[in-house]
Amino acid sequence: MTADPVRTQASRAAGPARLELRGVERSFGPIQAVSHASISVEAGQIHALCGHNGAGKSTVVKMICGLLEPDAGEILVDGEPVSLSSTHEAQRLGVALVDQELSVVPSLTVAENLMLGAVGEPVLLNRRRIRRHAEELLARVGLTCSPDTELGDLSIGERQLVEIARALDRGAKVLLLDEPTATLSSTETELVFKAVRASAAEGCAVIFVSHRLGEVVELCDRVTVMRDGRTVAESSTVGMHPHEIVHQMLGEVPQKVAKASRRTEPPSLVLRDFSAPDLFEGVSFDVSPGRIYALAGQVGSGASEVLRALAGLYPGSTGRAELDGRPLPQGRPEATRARGIAFASGDRKSEGLFLTKDVRTNLVMTRLGSLSSWGIVRRRRARRVSAEIARFAGIPPTRLRTPVEQLSGGNQQKVLVGRSLADSSVKVLLLDEPTRGVDVGGRGAIHQVLRDAADQGIAVVFASTELDELIELADTVVTMREGRVVSTYEGDATEAAVLNDITHAEGTA
Amino acid sequence: MSPASPTADLDTIELSPEPRGRRARAAVRREAGQPGTWVLLVAVAVAVVVGAQTPRFFSVDNAKAILVSTGTIGIAALGVTLIMVCGGLVSLAVGETAAVAGMVFLFSLDLGLVPALLLGMAVAAAVTALQGAMVGAWQANPIILTIAAASILTAVGARLSATSAVQPASDAFARLNQTPLGVPVVVFALLGLTVVVQLLMKATRMGRLMYAVGENRAAARAAGLPVALTVLGAFAVAGALMAVSGAFSAATSHTITLLGASQLTFNATAAVLAGGTAIFGGYGSAVRTLFGALLIATITDLLLLRGADLGMQTLVKGLLVLVVVLLGHLRGQQGRA
Repeated sequence: MTADPVRTQASRAAGPARLELRGVERSFGPIQAVSHASISVEAGQIHALCGHNGAGKSTVVKMICGLLEPDAGEILVDGEPVSLSSTHEAQRLGVALVDQELSVVPSLTVAENLMLGAVGEPVLLNRRRIRRHAEELLARVGLTCSPDTELGDLSIGERQLVEIARALDRGAKVLLLDEPTATLSSTETELVFKAVRASAAEGCAVIFVSHRLGEVVELCDRVTVMRDGRTVAESSTVGMHPHEIVHQMLGEVPQKVAKASRRTEPPSLVLRDFSAPDLFEGVSFDVSPGRIYALAGQVGSGASEVLRALAGLYPGSTGRAELDGRPLPQGRPEATRARGIAFASGDRKSEGLFLTKDVRTNLVMTRLGSLSSWGIVRRRRARRVSAEIARFAGIPPTRLRTPVEQLSGGNQQKVLVGRSLADSSVKVLLLDEPTRGVDVGGRGAIHQVLRDAADQGIAVVFASTELDELIELADTVVTMREGRVVSTYEGDATEAAVLNDITHAEGTA
Repeated sequence: MSPASPTADLDTIELSPEPRGRRARAAVRREAGQPGTWVLLVAVAVAVVVGAQTPRFFSVDNAKAILVSTGTIGIAALGVTLIMVCGGLVSLAVGETAAVAGMVFLFSLDLGLVPALLLGMAVAAAVTALQGAMVGAWQANPIILTIAAASILTAVGARLSATSAVQPASDAFARLNQTPLGVPVVVFALLGLTVVVQLLMKATRMGRLMYAVGENRAAARAAGLPVALTVLGAFAVAGALMAVSGAFSAATSHTITLLGASQLTFNATAAVLAGGTAIFGGYGSAVRTLFGALLIATITDLLLLRGADLGMQTLVKGLLVLVVVLLGHLRGQQGRA
């Protein structure tokens, strides 16, 4: 069970790359997610894969770890063309994915987790031997805890180290890390980096997918940038500045500049030093009625979390959050909604809509109080109001009786947004990723609906990772990274500036 | 009246612009797609066939016995329907709540029939509302919690009855055993309460919220709907209904014991499921439960007439529930695919 000496002393001499993608393509229906991806990673190399949302990164990752098969092109491991038809097959060939959602069992000890699914293990487990073996493995990734610790007691970062150790134990040749540091603190990030470097030193080819360009330059040897489904640049990171990666990610397109600002009224929602442990810290900004605000940030930046905390979905936030001069209740979504803050989740299926119910029922569900007399829902009133909202939100009136689950993503989103429109009790509308999974046409329609809502005096605050959406829609853009506000732009945001802020640490705080 | 149309009709009453005929046809189509509807129809057919071969099944006395039993099961099952529509929630203390409320009813009959009944309902509603508060606000596990409630109520009941049969404080209960127009009062009570519960579920704010909470609790919470209050309300009304069931049982047999408690819990839950209310919430109705209760009472009666013991009765009803739940599950998977 000790590490294979050949593997640990893998030669770094020139030869076939450990992992190579040649002209790989993949479409989903009419949409070509990846039109041409070529990447080559040597043994012992740490190779970054960067690209903005929708560039095709995650499709490439899925193809490498066997979750998706390419339509065209070749994947080679050690110079041999392979068919990665399943995750099992990918694992057999030595491709290991260190997942964002870790596939370890929290109630087992570290040593037991390392043994899970190991090949060729004896039926009767020899505790002492397992323990010694686990200690060796942990030492390889630089984790200093005892193998008898329950995994659930470790931090997320430490659990990732256990995953990496497990991959090394299985003889992984290619280690794939997808946004490993998105939710980690800086000390934990450093731990993961050490383990990644150790794996590379043992001869692994490491592919590191990250939005954090500062980390990319610090950790990786080379970087491949994707844009619009293609790999557009590959370069060494030596002496590279994150700005250069941002330029490659955006391409030579003309820069969009946010439009002139709307009228500004005195702020209704005021945040000062608003914090929630481990999620975001010291967030301060003002929100005025009739304006649209964007919180720009990648997953783990805290942007969505600020909205959720404002909606009352996280108890235990600290600092000042005041609406119309009175502090907002914490951790009580009902009470928050009663104060006039409506929230539309980014996950409309599991946290947004009542899918088997029809459009009408969904549209009126949050305002039954105003449609009822003595607790009885006035049907005619409900019918009139839902038709009105549908008109306002651009929902076809013929779909009012259709169960929401049968609508397109765009129409579903219109229902979710529409629910909070034409409702005098709503003062602030919070939306997490308002156009996630919505096609271009639906997107424009939803943007228009949000502008109309703002024109009627609602303060709209949305979190998004889509640059063009942020620039097009928002009057004010607040950029966030690692739980903190980076900068606030009043109508002068550019895609480059926003991308710089949300991807690497060189911006001004 | 076909079993499908009344449910469907009330289902669509809210916010429906289509002409009545088209609406009814659409409703029938929708109901026909529900596994519960088919199980119900098949089970009724089987009951008629088996009944034809069972001596004394088609007699006025037996019909009356079935109806009385439908009444006590059905009224409790209406309460279970409210709880279940709220999503993944059950009460395993239905029979115990009914029994203890029945005892309170018998003890306080010297106050008069209506005050005694109201007192029993209030006590039961308070007990279940407390459980509802814990389930709704603290996300307590409803199975464990209501099992605990059942054993506490059993202890209370044993103390109240001092381990012997409870004597009524007056004979005011006799009015509950009358048969105006040849039909037992409990049947009128069941029909009336079915209409009330159906309207509560379909036409009131609280009822609409119950469906929403049952269909997607996370979404209800994120939308700022009063989740905890809705669950508490459903439990409280359910408790009052269990008490009415207990009062009628007590009136029928002039006393009440805890012996039949677990049977009532099972029968009421089975009636709700056989009627086709979704065990994971968000779908169901009082009218469905009415037919479910009729089915369960008929099956019990048939098995009794054919000399089946308690074990066999439980087995048959258990299998019926199993089939309904499996069908519902398979359909749910189809829906998701």
